[in-house]
Amino acid sequence: MLLLAVRHLHIYFRSKAIVKNIEFTIRQGEWFTLIGESGSGKSITAFAIGGLLPKEMSIAAGQILFDNKDITYLSNKEFQKLRGKEISYVFQDYQSSFTPFMKIGKQMDEMIQAHCSLTKKERREIAFQALEDVQLPAKRVYDSYPFQLSGGQLQRASIAMAIMLNPKLLIADEPTTALDSITAAHVLEVIANIKEKINCAVLFITHDLRQAKKYSNTIAVMKQGEIVETGTKESIIHRPCHPYTKLLLSAVPTINRFSSSTELDLILK
Amino acid sequence: MKIIKQTNWMQSRTFPLVLFVSYLLAIVAASLFTPHDPLEINMNDRLLEPSMEHLFGTDHLGRDLFSRILTGGQVTVGTGLLVLIIVLLIGVPLGMLSGFIGGRFDRYFMRIIDAFLAFPDFILAIVLSGILGPGMLNLILAIVVAKWGSYARLVRSTVLSEKEKDYVLMAVVNGLSTFQIIRKHLLPHVVGNVFVLATLDLGKIILMIASLSYIGLGAQPPTPEWGAMLNEGKPFFHSSPHLMVIPGIAIMCTVLISNVVGDILRDRFDVKG
Amino acid sequence: MIHIAKRLIEFMLFLLLLSFISFIFIKLAPGDPVKQMLQVDEVSITKEQIEALRDELKFNEPLHIQYWYWLKRFFQFDLGNSYITNQPVLTELLSRFPATVMLTCASLIVMILISIPLGTLSALYKNKWVDHMSRLFALVGSSIPSFWLGLLFIEWFAVKLGILPSMGKGTVKHIILPSLTLGIAMSAVYVRLLRSSLLESLNEDYVKAARARGISERRIFFFHVFRRSLIPVITIFGMSLGSLISGTVVIEVLFSYPGMGKMVVDAIIRRDYPVIQGYVLFITILIVMINIFVDICYRYLNPEIRLKGVERR
Repeated sequence: MLLLAVRHLHIYFRSKAIVKNIEFTIRQGEWFTLIGESGSGKSITAFAIGGLLPKEMSIAAGQILFDNKDITYLSNKEFQKLRGKEISYVFQDYQSSFTPFMKIGKQMDEMIQAHCSLTKKERREIAFQALEDVQLPAKRVYDSYPFQLSGGQLQRASIAMAIMLNPKLLIADEPTTALDSITAAHVLEVIANIKEKINCAVLFITHDLRQAKKYSNTIAVMKQGEIVETGTKESIIHRPCHPYTKLLLSAVPTINRFSSSTELDLILK
Repeated sequence: MKIIKQTNWMQSRTFPLVLFVSYLLAIVAASLFTPHDPLEINMNDRLLEPSMEHLFGTDHLGRDLFSRILTGGQVTVGTGLLVLIIVLLIGVPLGMLSGFIGGRFDRYFMRIIDAFLAFPDFILAIVLSGILGPGMLNLILAIVVAKWGSYARLVRSTVLSEKEKDYVLMAVVNGLSTFQIIRKHLLPHVVGNVFVLATLDLGKIILMIASLSYIGLGAQPPTPEWGAMLNEGKPFFHSSPHLMVIPGIAIMCTVLISNVVGDILRDRFDVKG
Repeated sequence: MIHIAKRLIEFMLFLLLLSFISFIFIKLAPGDPVKQMLQVDEVSITKEQIEALRDELKFNEPLHIQYWYWLKRFFQFDLGNSYITNQPVLTELLSRFPATVMLTCASLIVMILISIPLGTLSALYKNKWVDHMSRLFALVGSSIPSFWLGLLFIEWFAVKLGILPSMGKGTVKHIILPSLTLGIAMSAVYVRLLRSSLLESLNEDYVKAARARGISERRIFFFHVFRRSLIPVITIFGMSLGSLISGTVVIEVLFSYPGMGKMVVDAIIRRDYPVIQGYVLFITILIVMINIFVDICYRYLNPEIRLKGVERR
């Protein structure tokens, strides 16, 4: 079943087009990867879906349908209800995913309170469950300030917060870019496990083909604000059509050196 | 410091600075052109309204207010500038030295500066007036003692951050003497920061001189200092409001200009805080 | 807790230093304090009387012994007697203290009531007319001499309209004009500071992250942004205590308000050294104590420093 459909989307920064006529759809429970170099408009597209575009940017044309509802021009209040509950985000900069001087638990509690009316005890249980789901020591993390955790722990905590309310779509905007490769592999695995557990769709944004390869169902390649090629993981990796996709593939030396993905996994682990 | 293409002279750094300095010099110089003797008492012309003969009217002793304001400018602004110059002469070299020598000397020096900065200038002024009796000299001394530390600290941190950069290391490698390095490479960077701080400080110093003179701890009558003039004229404000309005506006305008120019310079020199 | 203990030890050392400085102050003060004290009674003084008092005050002992006696009295809160009224200085100071505290608190309230709304509105509506107005206010406010503003207020509210008293103390009405004057004069700095601090916080990525979690704008502003922005404001507040105190002195003299500031200015003009010394001691200790308090506030607002023990600078 279709969860998200982006149709003919154009986004402008003042008078300059930065996202041009892009189109894609995400099914329920699908892992959809948007890949492209930095500045190609991937993150902007992700922001647009949740109504998080900065003030100077605006949607000039097109449509975003989420769960059979047009959410292109929702008011800020309506977006607030959607964000965190139906659509949630994980960002690249894990340090800024949390407000620095508030305990993690307090921020999780605040988020649940913003979306559901539950008792204090119920809210605490939800938060603990989510932290356990991402393999963190729930009690300790709940009572910690963000600066007391390591990078990998923080990123997992922010994933815990993102999936806490069982969203239908998890948007992961380069969640592993700022982490070292071992931690990154672990974080990816956590996202994959969570996805299976709550059966949400994942919109995964990356510039690194190695990461797209493992869990994706569908891959879309983006370049200078346009999607140049979309296809299943197999077709993109083995039968790339667009020259840019081929370039991307050849720019990852490790991929070509190892014939199967199991060997690659060994490297990543 | 970045080199900015100066397409428009008005947008440059020197323009507001030149304008400001000439304004200050004009204030100080204007006292040479007073139409009347600012100290001459004339009991027949007490409390006159502003007129062609007396542009700003006269005060309770029949002295010409316009002449007094001009001379007062020299006293207030001149004293402020004098204080700033003394502060710069003490603070800048010491800060440079401390930043350049570094090490233990720097640490102890910073401790001393902290101690000076922790002591509010106003309390210092009270202590000095207490020992020496109220007067302008104590005021100057108190402000100098209270202010020099902040300049030394600013200069020191500028020097410290510049010292680490490659071009200074190159100069050291190439065998330039310490003095040459300070003069040729460090001084230009220090100047911008110091100008911004000094411009913003001038307003504060003028306010302090005027306030302390108003409560009787600074300039003593009959010196035509702007704050002291307000103190002298206080009993006559209701009948002769010009005695209150004019010196006040003189202080406000001077401080306002110093603040505005300081803000502009801060933006142009790209100084933080 | 270790931190607070450390601050307290520093405080004791500081008191010792201060006692030494103030001892030197009294020694440096011109005139013979013994004669000053005896002159109060307006009778002729004999040599014997002077000698007797000198002995009593240990003025014939060597300096370090004198300092020792002075230190003992200092830590017993005995600051000597006023030359003019012959009352103990501490008693005089304490009798004036509440009035000054009241003025300070009222001014701070005025300051907060002005600077928080103006700074906040200015940051939220950046480059709109509210912002321009409050920036103009801040610029003019920081350029206007506080005593002149007070004079204008006296002229309008006390003399022309006659609705508020211009001098003295007693009713709530007496405190309105002085606190309004001082509060407005102080708020200029804080409007600016709060505005720039808020603008900086609003641009942080963690604000975006909170938005992505669906937290309401109002909640983000008050719980995530505002608290962070208070840190520089509080730091500056601690640093500008001196100007607050000088402000109270000027305002007290202006409004003939019977606080400690008026007292010390009168003392300077009458050369009443023990009172000047007592005031300086009192205020310095007060400033140090408030600074310790500000430091604790700072640590509360910034848990990273509290838990990691990172230095403030």
